[in-house]
Amino acid sequence: MKSKATDILDIATSKSLTYQQKLFNLANTAERLLDPREVLDYDEIEMMYIEKEMICDLNEGYVPYRPRYIVPDYSVLLSKGCDFLDLKPPTDLDELLDHLLILYRHIPSITSFPVFIGDLDRLIDPFVTHEEKDYKKIKRFLNHVDKSIPDSFCHANIGPERTKAGDLILKAVIELENPTPNMTIRYDKDKTPKNFALKAVEACLKVSKPSFSNDAKYCRDMGEHRIVSCYNALPHGGGAYTLPRLRLGTIAKGVQSLEELLKDRLPKVTKAMATMMDKRIKFLVEESNFFQTSFLVREGYIQRENFSAMFGIVGLADAVNQLLKLEGRQERFGTSKRGDEIGHSILKRIQEVANNHEAPYCERTNNRYLLHAQVGANLSEEDTCNTPAHRVTVGDEPILPLHIKQAIPFHEYFISGTGDLFAFDETYLDKPEAVLDIIEGAFSLGGRYITTYLHNTDLIRVTGYLVKKSEVKKAAAGEAVLRDTDILGYGTNSIAHVFERRLRKDEI
Amino acid sequence: MKYKAEVNKIIPFSNVDGPGNRLAIFFQGCNINCSYCHNPETINCCSHCGTCVSLCPTKAIKMVDGKVIYEEALCIGCDQCIRTCGFNASPKTREYTVDQLYEVIEGYAPFIRGVTVSGGEPTQQAAFITELFKRVKGLGLSCFVDTNGFFNKEDMIELIQVTDQFMIDIKGINTLETLCGKRSKQHLENLQYLLSIQKTYEVRTVVALEMVDIKETLTSVASLLKNHPSVTYRLISLHLTGLIPFQKENLKDKVPSKAYMEELKAYVTALGVKKVEIQSN
Repeated sequence: MKSKATDILDIATSKSLTYQQKLFNLANTAERLLDPREVLDYDEIEMMYIEKEMICDLNEGYVPYRPRYIVPDYSVLLSKGCDFLDLKPPTDLDELLDHLLILYRHIPSITSFPVFIGDLDRLIDPFVTHEEKDYKKIKRFLNHVDKSIPDSFCHANIGPERTKAGDLILKAVIELENPTPNMTIRYDKDKTPKNFALKAVEACLKVSKPSFSNDAKYCRDMGEHRIVSCYNALPHGGGAYTLPRLRLGTIAKGVQSLEELLKDRLPKVTKAMATMMDKRIKFLVEESNFFQTSFLVREGYIQRENFSAMFGIVGLADAVNQLLKLEGRQERFGTSKRGDEIGHSILKRIQEVANNHEAPYCERTNNRYLLHAQVGANLSEEDTCNTPAHRVTVGDEPILPLHIKQAIPFHEYFISGTGDLFAFDETYLDKPEAVLDIIEGAFSLGGRYITTYLHNTDLIRVTGYLVKKSEVKKAAAGEAVLRDTDILGYGTNSIAHVFERRLRKDEI
Repeated sequence: MKYKAEVNKIIPFSNVDGPGNRLAIFFQGCNINCSYCHNPETINCCSHCGTCVSLCPTKAIKMVDGKVIYEEALCIGCDQCIRTCGFNASPKTREYTVDQLYEVIEGYAPFIRGVTVSGGEPTQQAAFITELFKRVKGLGLSCFVDTNGFFNKEDMIELIQVTDQFMIDIKGINTLETLCGKRSKQHLENLQYLLSIQKTYEVRTVVALEMVDIKETLTSVASLLKNHPSVTYRLISLHLTGLIPFQKENLKDKVPSKAYMEELKAYVTALGVKKVEIQSN
């Protein structure tokens, strides 16, 4: 959405934003003051869908001067160091952790904080020499990341193999109970030893991370990739230029039938989003000079050829619920067989239109945009009627076994990421094997990504990122809080009631 | 022959009925009646007397052709029917064929490590479960039986063959008659037999003060388990949640303290049992 000059004063005088948040918000406001028709050549149809809020550009702005998500190959730091920052390859753990913290300051993204901070276990492991002393350093490093990168989209990866460093990282995240960094274990039952996986489950139940990604599946679909931001699977040494999203709940409003949606409105809006993405990418690659000037490109941390773009959707549940109503059914998405059929038909249509579109500068992904189940945001009134991704609206969820069976088939479409969240009751804490059985079952059926947490922890998953409930309550009361994601968490909870998500007890 | 069995409840994901995530099936019908039973409604099959029908607030229970019929979709789970049944039964059971139950299990197979049958007393349905287990094995799932220990092993040779592991109660030794209405050493003999063929996963004793001859029971079990280090002995503290008021009144001073449970754990450990767990919820 375009911004207004009056937004500047509102931001500058806000009581609930920190200095840093004001700075970033002002920059973002400036990017949205320009008219996308003039700068990016958006046409009237594209503008209409933005104005009707069927397409949401997530306030990315109209002068894209850096890719939305950057996934640096940090192994370059170990082999070559960094000329631009005058860093030699690290020779011990202190130097490595220091170098990484320096480098993180210089990784751009849509929020200006790095969304990927590396395969921490692989980076750290060669430098572990003294378990006790090194543990303290790793823990201090992770705490430093939490306080200096106040944005829970900042994501670290571990696994699939077990390492000493991986064990120490898991131990530290449990002790720290910090929201940042977000963390994923790339899980592969053939590569990840059981005891390491069980430790990860324990951590996930206690502090809501790491989440589990189906590494074998993502490797098949995407090759060398990492899990970044919420749960986005993106090419390693590259990233994603942009991520707009279709608000399916809004798009479906007013249609008279499923046929009208599938044959007329949906392909039109989908196509408009694709052409809009083309224009954003062309500006970024051809005019912004990012790839010509960034030291990350020059020194081999990223390559332009490793970038693609993400085709987001939200509000599948809401679109389906409207159509169920049109068909005269008293059913809701999540517990309706017909609802699932409608959901799949919508996603198949989007997939078809997206796959028929020739995407510029996306050679890494066969010149195609990648479908992404976006986790939602609170940018407009319309977001109150668009449930995250393909998820079941909070309150409509069936019991866990049925919920998993309902959700997993929808993972197939989303090559650049999706994930489901399941809250368990405390009895599972003593039974991590039972949780791992469920995760393995989901992955054997093609599931991509699973997060679990205990219902009563302070650290909770909002949609794809972590917040502390206590911090969100402060944000709700209008106080300034450290993390931008705490503020997002407040917005999302107030509209989606995620804190009331169904607790998993094994009852029917 | 087409086997059928009355099922009280299916829990698709259970983490407390054996290793990993398991589907647990609770069969209707039990051959004993313990005074601390938490599910007395599983003891008998419905006699179709109809007492519960008029008391159901949502008309989920109806009388059709002299039979009590239950419509799950209308049930709000208030359990009024179970409270008013004077017969230790439930109108909310469902009859399954082996095929029907297999179909349910198959749907959850990717997420579970195995199936555990419980009850009631599942060995009462030995023939049915034998057929079910034979098919479930084909899904690569393990098959566990959760039993009170009172069965004639000669009558269920095939079930024992197809079962991977048993979880067996030893509820007491000399106090059984007042506790469960049973006077027998059959449970100990059966435990001994199952241990001898390496088919015991876990032995359980509910600790209820005065009602169970605790020291004697623990000593007897320990003398059998000390040579079987892989078998867990689970000591379960009596708890009152979920009991009917009448039971609560009778049992309220029979709940052991945490310290006493720890004392018992130390006691059986000293007798040579390797894996002892306390369960206090």
